[in-house]
Amino acid sequence: MKLRVQLQCKNLHEYLKELSPEILDSLYNHPATCLAVYRELPSLAKNYVMRMLFLDHPLPQAAVALWVKKDNHDQCVSVLTGLRLWHSQHLQGGLQGFVLNPVFKDNLRVALLGGGKPWADEGSNLGPDRHARDVESLDRYAMERWEVILHFMVGSPSAAVSQDLAQLLIQAGLMKSEAGEAPCITSAGFQFLLLDTASQLWYFTLQYLKTAQSRGMDLVEILSFLFQLSFSTLGRDYSVEGMSESLLTFLQHLREFGLVFQRKRKSRRYYPTRLAITLAAGVTVNAASGSASTALGATPGTGDTGFIVVETNYRVYAYTNSELQIALVALFSEMLYRFPNVVVAQVTRESVQQAIANGITAQQVRDARGRCNTQPVTPILPPTIKDQIMLWELEKDRLQFTEGVLYNQFLSQADFEVLRDRAQGLGVLVWQNPAHRVMVVTPHGHSEVKRFWKRQKSHT
Amino acid sequence: MASDDEINILVIVLDVNPIWWGQQAQREPQFTLSTCLDSLMVLANAHLVMSRTNKLAVIANLYQKSHFLYPSKQWKSGDEISTSSDGKYELLSVTNDLFAEEIRNLMDRTEVSGSHTDSLLAVSIAKALCSGQDVKSRILVIKAAEDSTLQYMNFMNVIFAAQKKNILIDACVLDADSGLLQQACDITGGLYLKIPQKIALAQYLLWVFLPDAEQRSQLLLPPPVHVDYRAACFCHRNLIEIGYVCSVCLSIFCNFSPICTTCETAFKMPLPQMAKTKKKKVKTAN
Repeated sequence: MKLRVQLQCKNLHEYLKELSPEILDSLYNHPATCLAVYRELPSLAKNYVMRMLFLDHPLPQAAVALWVKKDNHDQCVSVLTGLRLWHSQHLQGGLQGFVLNPVFKDNLRVALLGGGKPWADEGSNLGPDRHARDVESLDRYAMERWEVILHFMVGSPSAAVSQDLAQLLIQAGLMKSEAGEAPCITSAGFQFLLLDTASQLWYFTLQYLKTAQSRGMDLVEILSFLFQLSFSTLGRDYSVEGMSESLLTFLQHLREFGLVFQRKRKSRRYYPTRLAITLAAGVTVNAASGSASTALGATPGTGDTGFIVVETNYRVYAYTNSELQIALVALFSEMLYRFPNVVVAQVTRESVQQAIANGITAQQVRDARGRCNTQPVTPILPPTIKDQIMLWELEKDRLQFTEGVLYNQFLSQADFEVLRDRAQGLGVLVWQNPAHRVMVVTPHGHSEVKRFWKRQKSHT
Repeated sequence: MASDDEINILVIVLDVNPIWWGQQAQREPQFTLSTCLDSLMVLANAHLVMSRTNKLAVIANLYQKSHFLYPSKQWKSGDEISTSSDGKYELLSVTNDLFAEEIRNLMDRTEVSGSHTDSLLAVSIAKALCSGQDVKSRILVIKAAEDSTLQYMNFMNVIFAAQKKNILIDACVLDADSGLLQQACDITGGLYLKIPQKIALAQYLLWVFLPDAEQRSQLLLPPPVHVDYRAACFCHRNLIEIGYVCSVCLSIFCNFSPICTTCETAFKMPLPQMAKTKKKKVKTAN
């Protein structure tokens, strides 16, 4: 039985809470990070921060508690303390007070009102771009690049990604690679494919950040740059002046993910794409951006809208042209026919069991089908199919295999009982049948029992 | 965590009556129109930063007209957009620069004539309502000069329209209390606040007027004031407590008139009652 790993998509706050306090403080040194963190706070906490932003003295905790009518106060306090946005301080008079983290306060003020350093060295001397790209082509580019990665995960032969990226995917646990062979997708990878684009991006970025330090990149710098990117305006170009080496490498990686567009490797300007801007919107789907579509749903760039019909005779009709969707369907069903705009497949016991053997749960298979529909009507999976998939999954659990060594053909009942008691005493007895004088012992207890038996035989 | 996908528009209606502000600058040199504008920009920036889907509009309120300061009709998106050179979030610096530019132009163009100290509030609010559309929005009125009861009718109509559209009207009053605005806030469910210390305007704005309707239900905010609900008569625009009401169109008059001016219904004159001679059963000494 393989362990099923649950994919945990953490959001920005949880990730930040895991960082050490020093890193967090140096992170707050950049206005973009402060803005990103602020945006993710619950709305009541945002009000708290705004109120205290322009105060220089600490406020008594009792006064702060009076601001709120109901009991969301404690939740806000814990969120703000967890992120080290404020801490307690003793006031004169012995009361406990709250004061905002000074670094955070200064930088949020700068983000709000100005008066600080510019976020990046201004490239206004670059002049207008002769090869300017508009928003649509940026969107298309972004979706293309992202889909290449997804295709690679599913195993389409046409997708080719760089070594770095493949390495990252393996490290993230989304794919596993046997020695010398091409990587293939894992259960976690399948769950990843089922997430919507924003969550996928975020998960991917988190994995990248985890490995960043091992590559020798500065985590703070990268994170600040990432947040700065997410607050840029879509359709504007920015200059690469003043970016350090590691930031430039990071930029190249972003270019591969589709978060940033750069005409050539050596171009001095880059355009953030919609994916980058939705990144800091966190895990929640941002409808305003309009591009938070699932991997299986409509893709605005390539123009594939697909939907899947599942019949009660286990036939699946997928009206789609996208390689990705077809590959996903092929993961748990057998392809029968392929037409220019339809793919017909059959869900069979073998195909589902093979998918399950690869670590995909029946629930995911159901969700995959459910997500495929882009129609506003909630998709209905026939109850027969639902139950059948679950039954096929349970079939695997009917039998449980344990390795052992069989002892049989005892000459007498007494011998059998002596040995059995010895094995039970050692705790290595797995199963016994006194009527037939048969018992099973675990492999690593076998040597011990064998020695005991030999001694026994030599005695009698 | 905050997954508000709804667009939240904050419309600020600012009273830029030049005469009042001029007098104000002489009374209190540390609080002038520029400081007020700075505080407003702080509020506007804070609102835009709260959420990705928040939007802003600013209308300036003058005696002769009211004018959209932001978003302005003259600005086309292809123009040279200034980049942020001092660490401010780019969207905010673009907004602030446009806003400052517009108000400068407006002040240059306006001629100061006469000594009117009131402003066309109803017009501004009407414009604000038209820009509201079907999204959650609220209007914040910064009132400096006095009320003009000439606008009473229009104002009440505008208030009821706002109530129908579920748009809150908040009022931040710098100088004299305004009965009209108190009524507006009471009817639409907004907040009315008279600022005790004008210098602290920014802090009041951030504390009281920044949270939106949902957040307000959780916070403790200044309680509603006693509202002066006296109506103004339709003939002289005086505020009256007792008056005559037309039974057809419900318009209010302070003096009796035989024909209602709004709906032209004729009323019967109440004649003085003739004392009816009671037929006494007189037992005459006949």
